[in-house]
Amino acid sequence: MDRATLIDRLQQIVGPNGVFHRPADLLVYEYDGSVDGAVDTAAPAAVALPTTTEQVAAIVTLARQAGLPVTARGAGTGLSGGAVAQQGGIIIALTRMDRIIEIDREDRTALVEPGVINLELTETTAPQGFFFAPDPSSQRACTIGGNCAENSGGPHCLKYGVTTNHVLGLEVVLPDGRIVWTGGRADGSAGYDLTGALVGSEGMLGIVTKALVRLTPKPAATLVQLAAFADIESASLATSKIIGAGILPAALEMMDNLTIQAVEPAYHAGYPLDAAAVLLIETDGDPDEVEAMGVEIAAICQDCAATTVRSATAAAERDLLWKGRKMALGAMGRLAPNYYLHDTVVPRSKLPATLSRVGEISREYKLPIANVFHAGDGNLHPLMLFDRRRPGDVERVLEASKEIIVYCVEIGGALSGEHGIGTEKRDYMTLVFTADDLAAMAGLRNSFDPTGYFNPEKIFPKGYMCGEVRALRAQAMAQKLGIYAL
Amino acid sequence: MMIDDLPRIDGVPVTSMVTPGDAPAVAELLADAANLGQSVIPVGGGTALALGNPPGSADIALSTRGLGGIIDYEPFDLVLSVGAGARLGDVQAVLAEHGQTLPIDPPGGDDATIGGLIATALTGPLRHSAGSLRDLLIGISMAHPSGTVTKAGGMVVKNVSGFDLPRVYHGSLGTLGVIVSANFKVLPLPRTEATIVARFAGIEEAMLAATTIRTRVANAAAIESGWLDDEWFVAVRFTGREPSVRNGLAAATEVLVADTAIFDRADSAAWWKRYQAALSLTANDEDEVLIRCAVRPRTTAALALGLVAKLPVLGATPSFLGASVGLGAVLVRFQLHDGSADRLAELQMILLGLANNLTILAAPPAWKAGLDVWGRTPETLDLMQAMKEQFDPHRVLNPGRFAGFI
Repeated sequence: MDRATLIDRLQQIVGPNGVFHRPADLLVYEYDGSVDGAVDTAAPAAVALPTTTEQVAAIVTLARQAGLPVTARGAGTGLSGGAVAQQGGIIIALTRMDRIIEIDREDRTALVEPGVINLELTETTAPQGFFFAPDPSSQRACTIGGNCAENSGGPHCLKYGVTTNHVLGLEVVLPDGRIVWTGGRADGSAGYDLTGALVGSEGMLGIVTKALVRLTPKPAATLVQLAAFADIESASLATSKIIGAGILPAALEMMDNLTIQAVEPAYHAGYPLDAAAVLLIETDGDPDEVEAMGVEIAAICQDCAATTVRSATAAAERDLLWKGRKMALGAMGRLAPNYYLHDTVVPRSKLPATLSRVGEISREYKLPIANVFHAGDGNLHPLMLFDRRRPGDVERVLEASKEIIVYCVEIGGALSGEHGIGTEKRDYMTLVFTADDLAAMAGLRNSFDPTGYFNPEKIFPKGYMCGEVRALRAQAMAQKLGIYAL
Repeated sequence: MMIDDLPRIDGVPVTSMVTPGDAPAVAELLADAANLGQSVIPVGGGTALALGNPPGSADIALSTRGLGGIIDYEPFDLVLSVGAGARLGDVQAVLAEHGQTLPIDPPGGDDATIGGLIATALTGPLRHSAGSLRDLLIGISMAHPSGTVTKAGGMVVKNVSGFDLPRVYHGSLGTLGVIVSANFKVLPLPRTEATIVARFAGIEEAMLAATTIRTRVANAAAIESGWLDDEWFVAVRFTGREPSVRNGLAAATEVLVADTAIFDRADSAAWWKRYQAALSLTANDEDEVLIRCAVRPRTTAALALGLVAKLPVLGATPSFLGASVGLGAVLVRFQLHDGSADRLAELQMILLGLANNLTILAAPPAWKAGLDVWGRTPETLDLMQAMKEQFDPHRVLNPGRFAGFI
């Protein structure tokens, strides 16, 4: 199928206003939110913006006929290259499917289209006493469909869990163009947990066209505490002691001095400028219980030599304390023109050692690294500050990143806590997973998409093709038998 | 059940029993079975062997008893890695020494094994507040009929490195591989607990009260209602710190104006231990059937009422009914008089008119002949068959037992 025919056919499906195909229009779709250089960019042949599930299915069928890959895309805020059409083909942008179809107060569910913005769902359901718990930092822009694809987290997943814990059912367009439902309003549907397989599959198994998500009742009371410390170790220890005391905060975030230096002058959230680290600790639930937890948390922080502990119960005060955290990334512009944000997870007890290793790497590579992260679940976000115009900066950032990732994996951590693998970390997968482990993942992919045309080249190491699964298995067996090493 | 005896799987006798001692031994055994065209039935604590369709064949029972024990436990990080054959009771005892717990109360109780719990996805009343093992599972290690051992996930509480295979294996009834070990996030043990139990004159009143509790009382750990010990009841459990347990009880007492009793701490835990036993998949009588029906939560009361009206007409006498209003699930144990395969199939068909999903959790093996115990065939069955084909092409594992006779 030639290009003109493809555009024509796409326009027949979604209308003339639903297709982008001029180079200037496609430019923005070559990127997602990741750092240019860490993640490759690629131009799609065309972008289609469907408004119905049937249109999505028709585009998928057309792509199949044309032998073109398909990449689904939400707001493009992802940080691992997931929404970049690595092999070109058609991008299905789901931003025009943005209706909240139904809010069910009694069942505590919302049925939404994939283009609904995360925060919009919370804001729409707030008057009825609910919120949508996954709250990635990009929640003002990112879509529920994207959240499903990446299994997004956020500060509050410490208590409330990540996206997969909040998705009850999905309407998806499968790689064969069929429209099916997985899961649903009633518990206990028969067979494998396809909803669980689809959430976090980075758009490689199906395209979500409707999501039935759980709404969480707003807690009766919420308390935000700020604790400042003279060194990072004390802040880490306080984190562990709070969790160890049997307190499950709604969120427990840490910011180091470099972050405070960026944030405080910009937002005046009240973080002490001389602190080595501050913790933001949010607790919620029964008012009496929240009060009791607040007293315990303050005592633990004092025990860990906190220099300041402040509490905020009124919404405006709480919002101000949170503002510094939520806007931290934007404030980094005060320190350097560019930053590269990393996402790794380590066991909570290894936080002090990891942060000191990150400090060493920062000095070795002469790169300022700010740390602003989800301390409660050990999910680090080192922010490397650089200037891409300066020769060698990007290369040093990538080298330093690799060192951080290798270290985190060595001490029992994970490659990514909430940003996904995409193309950004696909070549690191073999640090954690064996050829057999990857073959099992490929097995899942083959069941959904034997030809691998949904979001190709994601998750699996570069050059890893579905056809290689059997070869890899044989290779793994051979390795086991000592015939030759991988 | 003594697993030293050769078990019968839904009436099908197994010809041998093996107890491999580590993951590679499991994988080797599965690969050999694949080569020889034999079938393998994984067996854990034996508390849920009644679940599933009768197997097409059952050559080898693979006991996970050799895969027990704690592999790694980091109380400071609240993460646990444990062998599939570990008994839940033993795991909880180790966790309790550090003031921690896996917040689950499955029908199999302490004798259920970790592997079995993941494979069957059976849950108890605590699911209302704490979710299920699906939400706690952070990593898994599997042995496959290809002869390989694979892992997915890890030992940290947040992880999106690659496809979420732990969730795929959870609830797959051992048809994709044999679970050899699993990693979980664990939680602090609640500091205290209390339970209020109310008795009612009829099911309408009981279900209305349970539904009202669900709406009005935010912090209940579990809400169950139904028919237990020849009485209509509502039971609400509160766990956590003193203030929230006290406030929860006060709020529940306002709703439950009927005949109530309050159980504190150990008495509360004991009440629920007994209730958990009522959910057991092990039959008390030869003509006993245990089913689980599910609807959207808002219609739980209608489902329970419908079941109570319909079952006697179908010749079934319920001895227990437990409704979870937060989840929309109702579990019913009943005797089916003059039962047969035809009668059970008819009953399943009629009850599917009341519920979106229906699983026959346990029934006399001979009665299962004419139906799929998992109820409605999913529209995605072909996808599931494709998954089975990828992971177990020779259909070594639990052939025919899973949904759609996978």
